[in-house]
Amino acid sequence: MNVLSKVIALGVLSVMAACTNNDPSALGGGAGGNGSILPGSPSDPQSPAYFQQTVGDRLLFEVDQSTLTGQAQTILQGQADWLLANTDFVATIEGHADEQGTREYNLALGARRANAAREYLISRGVAGNRLTTVSFGKERPIEICSTEECYSKNRRAVTVLTGSTLG
Amino acid sequence: MMRFLTSLLLGLTVLAAPVYAQSGPLRLELDQGIIEPLPFAVPNFVPDGPAATQYANDLSRVVAADLTGTGLFREISSDAFISRVSSFEAPVQFADWKAINAEALVTGAVNVSGKRLTVRFRVWDVFSGQELGNGLQFSGTTDGWRRMAHKVADQVYTRVTGESGYFDSRVAFVSESGPKNQRLKRLAIMDYDGANVQYLTDSAAIVLAPRFSPSGDRLLYTSYETGQPRIYVLDVDRVKRTELKTQDGTMSFSPRFSPDGRSIVYSLIQGGNTDLWKMDLASGQSVRLTNTPAIETAPSYSPDGSQIVFESDRSGTPQLYIMPANGGEATRISFKQGRYGTPVWSSRGDLIAFTKQNKGRFHIGVMRTDGSEERLLTSSFLDEGPTWSPNGRVIMFTRESQGASGRATLYSVDISGRNLRPVRTPDGGSDPSWGPLQK
Amino acid sequence: MDTGTKISAIAHVSLISWALFGGTFRSEPLPMPVQDISVISAEQFAAMTAQSEAPELPTPTALQQPDAHEEEIPTPEPVEQEPPTPEVSEPNEPEPELEPEPLAPPPEPVVIEQPPELAPPEPEAVVLPTPPGPEAQPRPADKVAPEPVAPPPPEAAPDDIESPAVSLDEGAETQQEQQDQTAPEEATDEIVTEAEEAKEYAPRSSPRPLVRPNRPTPPAEPEVAETEEPTEPEPAPSDETAINDALAEALGQSSEPSGPPLTAGEKDAMRLAVSKCWNVGSLSTDALQTVVVVGFSLTPDGKVLGGTLQMIDSSGGTDASARQAYEAARRAILRCGAKGYTLPTDKYDQWRDIEITFNPERMRIK
Repeated sequence: MNVLSKVIALGVLSVMAACTNNDPSALGGGAGGNGSILPGSPSDPQSPAYFQQTVGDRLLFEVDQSTLTGQAQTILQGQADWLLANTDFVATIEGHADEQGTREYNLALGARRANAAREYLISRGVAGNRLTTVSFGKERPIEICSTEECYSKNRRAVTVLTGSTLG
Repeated sequence: MMRFLTSLLLGLTVLAAPVYAQSGPLRLELDQGIIEPLPFAVPNFVPDGPAATQYANDLSRVVAADLTGTGLFREISSDAFISRVSSFEAPVQFADWKAINAEALVTGAVNVSGKRLTVRFRVWDVFSGQELGNGLQFSGTTDGWRRMAHKVADQVYTRVTGESGYFDSRVAFVSESGPKNQRLKRLAIMDYDGANVQYLTDSAAIVLAPRFSPSGDRLLYTSYETGQPRIYVLDVDRVKRTELKTQDGTMSFSPRFSPDGRSIVYSLIQGGNTDLWKMDLASGQSVRLTNTPAIETAPSYSPDGSQIVFESDRSGTPQLYIMPANGGEATRISFKQGRYGTPVWSSRGDLIAFTKQNKGRFHIGVMRTDGSEERLLTSSFLDEGPTWSPNGRVIMFTRESQGASGRATLYSVDISGRNLRPVRTPDGGSDPSWGPLQK
Repeated sequence: MDTGTKISAIAHVSLISWALFGGTFRSEPLPMPVQDISVISAEQFAAMTAQSEAPELPTPTALQQPDAHEEEIPTPEPVEQEPPTPEVSEPNEPEPELEPEPLAPPPEPVVIEQPPELAPPEPEAVVLPTPPGPEAQPRPADKVAPEPVAPPPPEAAPDDIESPAVSLDEGAETQQEQQDQTAPEEATDEIVTEAEEAKEYAPRSSPRPLVRPNRPTPPAEPEVAETEEPTEPEPAPSDETAINDALAEALGQSSEPSGPPLTAGEKDAMRLAVSKCWNVGSLSTDALQTVVVVGFSLTPDGKVLGGTLQMIDSSGGTDASARQAYEAARRAILRCGAKGYTLPTDKYDQWRDIEITFNPERMRIK
């Protein structure tokens, strides 16, 4: 099972590699025709899609932890930069937990994670009133298997751009 | 006469034989018995007319199912019956019931006139030939026949075990459908046995953990309808809900009523930290009960309202603590290996049920209120959220199965650890809250 | 940008983010509500239209329609989202006024007054219709007994002590396979919960060697060694009871017990005989704290003399719990004595009156 998933993962990675090579030119060609980037597309650095996919909207946590890993801090730094550059947006940080734990505890744990992310963003200059948090505990896993492989992806904080301060 | 003659003839010999003195009756002490379901029979109740036949049959079946479901009783199938009960008033043929080893016998009669239903019944101790308690009758409307059956069963249960019953009670729970990552949750209520499911909310927002008020008239629950987890109180009869304005903080959850129903204790998240608060329902005023950087959640009152048991990870892992109901110093009560959560104080006051996570397994367990005599009743991939039956004899909880197709199911188990069984619900079910016996 | 490129780009991006994060889109705020709502309505509609009823009982549909609301049943206010089905479950308040009314005293069945031995059909003659086995009992130990054994439960034949119906081998064999299957037949000496079961599978179900007191045969006196007092080498022991009785009668001392005391083995046999029917499984936790002393008298053939059963003493509980404890003790004495206890007839005067202390201390849930 593990081997199989690794094989699949490798396959996906190689496809991705191919994509990274191809996509920019393909998109560039398309955009170049119009002389501008399609607004709102992932290639638009001011779009939520760009934030989500390029900056990275989520960080992962160790079991039972809400401390930020080095990788998480890097992602958050990117988020902070983006938020500082795109001041129209406000964000909600969703905290999540894996299913290994009681509903109540996981709800509280998710809140800790979301808050850890929020505090970091604030420490990087993002205004606190642009950042709210919510915890979903174990109610909204993105991966549904019952192994560490899935759990590690479910222990996350996701920064969701919820709109613009300008309304 | 014969004996007398013999004695005369052998008198001399006998006098020579020693006569053993004994100071009284033969005295024995038993300290070992057996534990097994008590065999009982519920012959179909006697209908007083064609209109009552179906009700009589159904009623007696529900009575039997209630008793069997406890695990403390075992029904003897009607196939084994020697005598039929064709009249409620006729003397019971105890020999016939003894012969099939029925220790308890329930006889009954049902009368239906219009929409009015009356059930009469008696409970018999077969081997002594005596009635347990007195005959009783319940009247109501025909569509309440199930409740009447539960009431009869509660009586039988009480008369045999000496404990109050729990059949005429309801359970609030979260009805679950859909895959794990898009689970749809609705608040629902049903009879304790899974019958008569009614939905109290839709599934537009996540709802969690309903908690009955002590009298059963209201439910507290947590809903995401504003986008944030917030506490609501719902009037069960009118199905009207109100958001409770908890203290400042975006998220509040894990509410529970005080035994007098006038206040609630709950978890409030402020700045990522979860503490316990208490709210007076009349004034809406909240008071902080804990103030630590640790997670404090899943509070539950002692039946006398003087203490609160809750879960905290102040020691590094989630453990159980007890503190005075107005806050103050907390005493840790869980010390064995593992992580403890969702403690719930039994209505009898002597035990605390909890969820335990240890070595990759989840357990429902009980311990005394000082943490001693811990006993684990279940073991599975994921068991959590115990709730007590009104009489403190049975625990219902959520069991979630493993993997991508994982599904939540309600289970119940006797506090002895016996009689583990699923409670059937139309869809998946989680977060049960067992209400009080209905009046 | 041509459509193909767009599609390709979108597909690629989805694939990438799926590979990286898995289901990224599902947690995105924008697509999610839309998806949710559509799923909700479908599912909900299905669920609402297919309201399932109590699973265990075939519910007569005719009974399910409270179409006309009776005056005493206020209709529950329908919720906005409430399913359209006219739900039966009456809410708390409009309960169908269940008024308990005590019934007149029961018809006094004559049977009650009769001593058990007069009960008409002697059970031996009746082929016991085997009650359906404890079917589908999910617990490994359906029964907890003093001796963990595999033999059939005593309610099938409480007096069947001596028939080795099930060999120990069978118990040993079944324990190899599915625990659940053998469970109903077994008796363990402890309650085994699921939690314990997991780690202590095998040992719990393995039958312990039986220690059974020798069954005294009335005429002979095999227990000499255990008796404290020398046994009379009586030439005609079977007459002894009659003789003693006669003597007692002749001397006008019918109440004075006589005959050699029961041996320890004989007492054990009697204790075991009653304990096999002493079922505390249905007792409340309070009743399990209560010790009761029950007195009764036996006929010479070992049957309980009607009307002599009584609670002599109780301790450790309330009146109510004492009553339950007494009733369980009474059931034990009557049920296991239905065919008469086997006691040495020559010592009748020693066991004519018996007092048994039922101490459930060891039977409590621990």
